[in-house]
Amino acid sequence: MVVGDIATGTDVVVIGGGPAGYTAAIRAAQLDLDVTLAEKDAYGGTCLNHGCIPSKALLTASDTAHEAATAEEMGIHADPSVDLGEMVAWKDDVVGQLTGGVEKLCKANGVNLVEGRAEFADENTVRIIHDGEGQGSESVEFEHAILATGSRPIEIPGFAFDGERILSSRHALALESVPESLVVIGAGYIGMEMSTVFAKVGTDVTVVEMLDDVLPTYESDVSSIVKDRAKDLGIDFHFGESAQDWEEMDGGLSVHTETEDGEINEYGAEKALVAVGRAPVTDTLSLDAIGVETDEDGFVPTDDRARTNVEHVHAVGDVAGEPMLAHKGMKEGEVAAEVIAGEPAALDYQAVPAAVFTDPEIGTVGLTEAEAEAEGFEPVVGQMPMRASGRALTLNESDGFVRVVADEPSGFLLGAQVVTPEASELIGELGLAIEMGATLEDVAATIHTHPTLTEAVMEAAANATGDAIHTLNR
Amino acid sequence: MTHEFELPDVGEGVAEGEIVSWLVETGDTVEEDQPVAEVETDKAVVEVPSPVDGAVAERRAEEGEMVPVGNVIIVFDTDGDGTETATKTDETETESTEEASEQASESGRVFAAPSARRLARELGVDIGAVSGSGPGGRVSTTDVREHAEDGDSGAEAESAIQPADETDASTTEAAATESAVSPANEQADREGTLAAPATRKLAEEQEIDIDAVPTEEERDGEPFVTPEQVRAYAERQQAAQAADTRAVQTEQEREERVPYRGIRRTIGQQMEHSKFTAPHVTHHDEVDVTELVETREDLKEAAEERGVSLTYMPFVMKAVVAGLKEHPYLNASLDESAEEIVLKNYYNIGVAVATDAGLMVPVVDNVDRKGMLQLSSEMNELVAKARERSITREEMQGGTFTITNFGAVGGEYATPIINHPESAILGLGEIKEKPRVVDGEVVPRKVMTLSLSIDHRTIDGAVAGAFTNTVKRYLNNPSLLLL
Repeated sequence: MVVGDIATGTDVVVIGGGPAGYTAAIRAAQLDLDVTLAEKDAYGGTCLNHGCIPSKALLTASDTAHEAATAEEMGIHADPSVDLGEMVAWKDDVVGQLTGGVEKLCKANGVNLVEGRAEFADENTVRIIHDGEGQGSESVEFEHAILATGSRPIEIPGFAFDGERILSSRHALALESVPESLVVIGAGYIGMEMSTVFAKVGTDVTVVEMLDDVLPTYESDVSSIVKDRAKDLGIDFHFGESAQDWEEMDGGLSVHTETEDGEINEYGAEKALVAVGRAPVTDTLSLDAIGVETDEDGFVPTDDRARTNVEHVHAVGDVAGEPMLAHKGMKEGEVAAEVIAGEPAALDYQAVPAAVFTDPEIGTVGLTEAEAEAEGFEPVVGQMPMRASGRALTLNESDGFVRVVADEPSGFLLGAQVVTPEASELIGELGLAIEMGATLEDVAATIHTHPTLTEAVMEAAANATGDAIHTLNR
Repeated sequence: MTHEFELPDVGEGVAEGEIVSWLVETGDTVEEDQPVAEVETDKAVVEVPSPVDGAVAERRAEEGEMVPVGNVIIVFDTDGDGTETATKTDETETESTEEASEQASESGRVFAAPSARRLARELGVDIGAVSGSGPGGRVSTTDVREHAEDGDSGAEAESAIQPADETDASTTEAAATESAVSPANEQADREGTLAAPATRKLAEEQEIDIDAVPTEEERDGEPFVTPEQVRAYAERQQAAQAADTRAVQTEQEREERVPYRGIRRTIGQQMEHSKFTAPHVTHHDEVDVTELVETREDLKEAAEERGVSLTYMPFVMKAVVAGLKEHPYLNASLDESAEEIVLKNYYNIGVAVATDAGLMVPVVDNVDRKGMLQLSSEMNELVAKARERSITREEMQGGTFTITNFGAVGGEYATPIINHPESAILGLGEIKEKPRVVDGEVVPRKVMTLSLSIDHRTIDGAVAGAFTNTVKRYLNNPSLLLL
């Protein structure tokens, strides 16, 4: 303890107020534990402040502009003008409501909120250093710690984020004006979502990807729909090229890339967005002082109770490893708190859903056909193309499909891949079905509202058993 | 998946327990409800059953260690192969387990709703071993509950604890006897010996002093040793050495180290505490119980008709309660911290019982309010429970005075140790027929000896004597008990 420190004691200290951290804090407080939550930046973490929420707000706004501008077919002729500054201000308002809500919820549940960067002093003490010179620090003695420090965008060599020319996703979500042109480095889900936003508000977008396709973790029939649509939006793709460096040019920049064969290409744009992935934040914590180990990628390995190698330290959310998804982190936060409170909680979910908010959206949960086979199941798939969905056509969207994967002998649902408008919503019922151990028959026999996109889920399940009405059974 | 098993509250309200012995090793396959450890609390030893099917991944406590309730004592590995083993070994549940493993075998996944999975964790059930009644074998909460309830029928009976290895002990004894009877090697001690050079060489090879080889033969008046004699001597010598070695080994095993723990240590600590806390004084006396013996003989049959075996103990208990009522300081305890003597207006009499595991003291509550037959049957039941170790902690608590019947093994007088924090203990000697003078004549009478130990801090010798006299009066004249 340094001089001037104020020492307080707590049952549980949660480090990081993102979705995983605040969920852990609230649940722990609900279970009558004395909880201190340390946040160095803003409550709600990356998700609420610089990720999920702001990007979705801008996607919705850019969609609105784009749809209005491209609805001649429906007899709508409009030429919307976009003020990105106002759009961002609206987004900030949404974010403000949500982060304020998180703070209120924490307080209402009796969580002690402390602002500052946390650093372990020893096995049971953490120092929380307040922001700004001379603001001091305080020591908190704890019984249990929950690490929820999240992740940050990865920088690539030669492309240090400056917020001016070289942007991280966080910078891109706070731009005041629409850039005329943008080079996006990385065609993963963040790169694709941001490319979609900017393409829809009129930016010339060039995507440079080192691998040979967009969304490399998805099946190609899934990703190709998104890629084709992105091309229709005017996005220019360059695969198999890695970004080398950049230089200032004509009030903008020029990004230099290299192909595998050593060919150098240059792409000029006003700004460049680097979206090559995210890395866990573990370097600010002095983890050595408490003996918590990290793996080679900097993640903190945990078991099915969200425990680290140190008995009284849990880790949740992005810092605890892939997939880096807020909802996975929230589940981990709940489990960590319940385990600390002595409840028989465990991370025993069957599947974690994921969504990509491209156009159309992608929703996935559980296993693909190939993964199911690798796990020893005898998979059967059923598919419903959206061109056979009445609701899809009335949305003027006919690309995409709903696909379900099940174990043929038992009929148990194992996974689903959905590429449709609102796929992020459709995937919910499929997650529930998998988690409940529902069979294809269960899903197919459930009456779904007509006319909605959700009918496609029922149809896909029926298709797998050869009982579909609106598609040819395979 | 691993299952961490915390020491349960094995005795209602127990805060900690001692791991007396482990019944499983790391790596052992265990079935649900199979006892994994013997845990001792106060005076009861309890077998702790495994909550799951699986394998022992880790034991977190040592034998002899005191473990607070709630601490993890053992970790089970309940992975897929655990399910397999369950199928292999658990024959009583073959049907359900087979189904379960069949259903899980494809990928190790069990299809069950989150609520069912959580319930399984709550009940300590390996959900992989639950047979699902839903479509495709989906496991419902009902299935989990039923499995948890049926689980008890498992392998419990199989694993009785083997007491100390008696066969080993008897082998050691046999070895000792053998070495004791092995004959010592007869040996000579001469100044010089005649022998052929080859014979001398043989002796050298065998590392034998040729002058020590016994012989009857002589050449030219000198003792003569043949090669055969050298060989025979050498063989005997080796045999003797081997016997010596055995003898030495046996000597090392002459002492055996028995762990001082469990019930033995609890008794020891209790005795130590009592004897070093309360200055004991023991008052000895004898009482003519001829009439009591007759009364009991008369009542015995009537009691038997009501299914109760009537001993002398209920009479003694009643006599003691009469004494305690007159002399309340013997039905008391000293509250040292409050500096107060707590006089008790209830009469809970403990009866010391020798069991295989050691001394136990079941307590019969409210002796003053119970009839002879009820006392008899209650006491008999408690004694039986103590002997078979099914007695609970609660049934041995709350005593205000203790009776110990050392006469059961034939003694006359003893100096019993008070069952702290009680203040006195009455020891009963054997009832014997002795010559006694009645009305100036020596006649055979039934005589019982009494040894009363008191805590001299709160009770003086005179009070002890007065109490004993009261008890004697009632035992001498049992009809007083009717009043």
